[in-house]
Amino acid sequence: MTVEVESRIAQAKTQNSLKRQKRLQTLGYILVWSCGILAVAFVLWIIGYVLLQGIPLINLEFLTTRPAGGVSGEGGMSTTIVTTLYLVILTILIATPLGVGAAVYLVEYAGDASRENKFVAFLIKAARSGVEILAGVPSIIFGLFGFALFVSYLKLGFSLLSASLSGAALVLPTIIRTSEEALLTVPRSYREGSLSLGATKWHTVFNVVLPSALPGIVTGIVLSVGRIIAETAIFWVTLGGSYQLPKSILNSGRSMALHVYMLASETRAFDKAMATASILIVTIILLNLTINIFSRKLTAKVTGKKS
Amino acid sequence: MPLQQPGTVQMANQKTHPPKKPLYVNIISKSLSGIIGIAAIAALIFAIYLFLTPGFIEVNEDAIIQFNHIHFGAGAILAGVLLVMVARGIWLFKNWARTVLLFGLIIFIIYNFVIIVFAISSSIFAGEAVVPLAAILQVIGRGLLYFLSYAIIPAGLIFALMKIDQYYEESSKQREFIDDAIRYILLGTALSCIIIVLLIFIFTMTEAWQSVAEIGLDTMLLGTIWRPGSIIGTDQAQFGLLPMIFGSILSTFGAILIGVPLSVGTAILLAEVAPRAVREAVRPAVELLAGIPSVVYGLFGMVVLAPLIRNIDVPRNTGFGLLNASVILAVMIIPTVTNIAEDAIRAVPREYKEGSLALGGTHWQTIVKVILPAARSGIIAAIILGIGRALGETMAMIMVIGNSIAMPNPLTNNPLTLFLNTARTLTGNIAVEINYAAGAHRSALFFTGVLLFLMIMVVNSSARFFMRSRKVDE
Repeated sequence: MTVEVESRIAQAKTQNSLKRQKRLQTLGYILVWSCGILAVAFVLWIIGYVLLQGIPLINLEFLTTRPAGGVSGEGGMSTTIVTTLYLVILTILIATPLGVGAAVYLVEYAGDASRENKFVAFLIKAARSGVEILAGVPSIIFGLFGFALFVSYLKLGFSLLSASLSGAALVLPTIIRTSEEALLTVPRSYREGSLSLGATKWHTVFNVVLPSALPGIVTGIVLSVGRIIAETAIFWVTLGGSYQLPKSILNSGRSMALHVYMLASETRAFDKAMATASILIVTIILLNLTINIFSRKLTAKVTGKKS
Repeated sequence: MPLQQPGTVQMANQKTHPPKKPLYVNIISKSLSGIIGIAAIAALIFAIYLFLTPGFIEVNEDAIIQFNHIHFGAGAILAGVLLVMVARGIWLFKNWARTVLLFGLIIFIIYNFVIIVFAISSSIFAGEAVVPLAAILQVIGRGLLYFLSYAIIPAGLIFALMKIDQYYEESSKQREFIDDAIRYILLGTALSCIIIVLLIFIFTMTEAWQSVAEIGLDTMLLGTIWRPGSIIGTDQAQFGLLPMIFGSILSTFGAILIGVPLSVGTAILLAEVAPRAVREAVRPAVELLAGIPSVVYGLFGMVVLAPLIRNIDVPRNTGFGLLNASVILAVMIIPTVTNIAEDAIRAVPREYKEGSLALGGTHWQTIVKVILPAARSGIIAAIILGIGRALGETMAMIMVIGNSIAMPNPLTNNPLTLFLNTARTLTGNIAVEINYAAGAHRSALFFTGVLLFLMIMVVNSSARFFMRSRKVDE
């Protein structure tokens, strides 16, 4: 062998030598672990700071007085809690029938329809791509849409109604996706058994399939509730910022997240903003826990049945 | 001769013969039917009265559809006809009439419940401070009593109707009709998403059109000055969006620079390197990041990051600006990118990894030279989705980026100080000015929205393309 080839082989041997690779691997592991640790550190830093700054301020008085505006952000946050509750309930009431109905159609009825009718097959394709497109739209666009359609064109003004309608559009893809997944986990034998006993398709869906898929659907609804509570941009342009309690669904109000923003940007009361933010975070952590426990029970049920 | 018990075998399309009805069932149904019939007659009389006295109904001038006495009269006639049909249905023990009645009763109860809840919370929370506990209990008690007085009769009726449902019949033709009707109603709900997309498109485009016509696409996309109020000296308002486009792109770029290595590293950790216990701890923590509201991120950036960044000794460094925004955005996109990148890494077939290890490669060599290239399209899809998330973020941006309307440029000779300058994003532009904008200004803001919508649709479609090409590879 020539000297060059020999030196090349020797070079390759040291390059790929196990010692070198092991050293590189340790470096790689350190890199990857530090990325993970940094990510977790950020979580703990952000949540920890907000909670530490905010929780000392929370007492019964803070929760039950209503915000009074002003440069130092007097008052508490009572009306914002109630407004958030109203908003969540109204939005879920609007979005759930639409979302679950859409999911039921796409899972149960869309299969056989494609064989019947070209027009209906086209509509189904349009419906599915609609869900995907809507899922990717940023929330400020929903806010603009709500502002243009509900606040201005339909003259509903800044109100709970326009905010809920825009919020329903926002969470609709989430509900449709989770409901679809939930409906797909229902075993075919349930449907076949019910149909063979003479029930109509709708009766089967409503009385057999939907109750079995209910845990998954509820998970989707709880996810949407978390999204609504955390959303600000969309309600900033459709709900308005009044800190009064809305007396009907046509009145304006202020949700908790909106309250945090307005305290932080219009007043110097960062401590109150931190307090409101901590309540927000605690609510969302509790919701996440509920979802986790629920989905763990759900998978236990599914795997339990299969074993 | 076939053995068949008479009366027990029914064919599917024969009329079913319900069992003989006991007396109480007859009493309930006939009296219910009678009451509904009387209500129908009352509705018709009311309709006639409305037609004869137009002054009874006040016309609401600013509603979008103005109702007058003719509309109400026609509505009353319709209600009367419906009530007559339901009454006849109940008399003849038809199931559809029973369902309609149940539905109406449930709506009545829910409506009253909602009104009572609003009234109770108004009286508890509307004052300066919440009233003392005794008063709260009194208000709630009175509200519940009020609600019960409205709800007890309908609730009793609902209970009775559910108990006697076996005596109501429906023909199989009716069942099939309802089945088909529901199929089309559900198709309608399935189309709701695409209808909303079309509505968004139509409404934002029509509002934005005025700015395109008056100001022109080139001025808006390439102009560098954004001053909606008139400038001193000239009457011309300027609507150049370029500073905002730069602000969005720069903050997203910074977020990707900081966030993507962090996320991909975490994804590798979760998918390949970490033991199960660590995985079970880290993954929920990363998911928690996704749940934190964006205002809280903005608050954190304002209160914690801004003083930290202010420590960098550069003139005119306020702590707010592109660096602050980039860090916050990077943390916000960590959950998205980590989740999808981890899925992509997990989707690499085990044979790749096992083959590489069998040939003598170390685990790290396998990760870098085999797994990551195989997961490449999924990781690219993750990054693109992170870009989409970063472009669409609004509230955190308007709290930390400074919202200045000038083109971002470096503060000193060092080009890196570009990131210490304040800027404004496209999303921030919309959110900050939409509440008081009018005319051409408002139209320009809607144009910003349309621009954003198009940018994000392009980003999302390319992400979908990369995710699909991953599936083809396998």
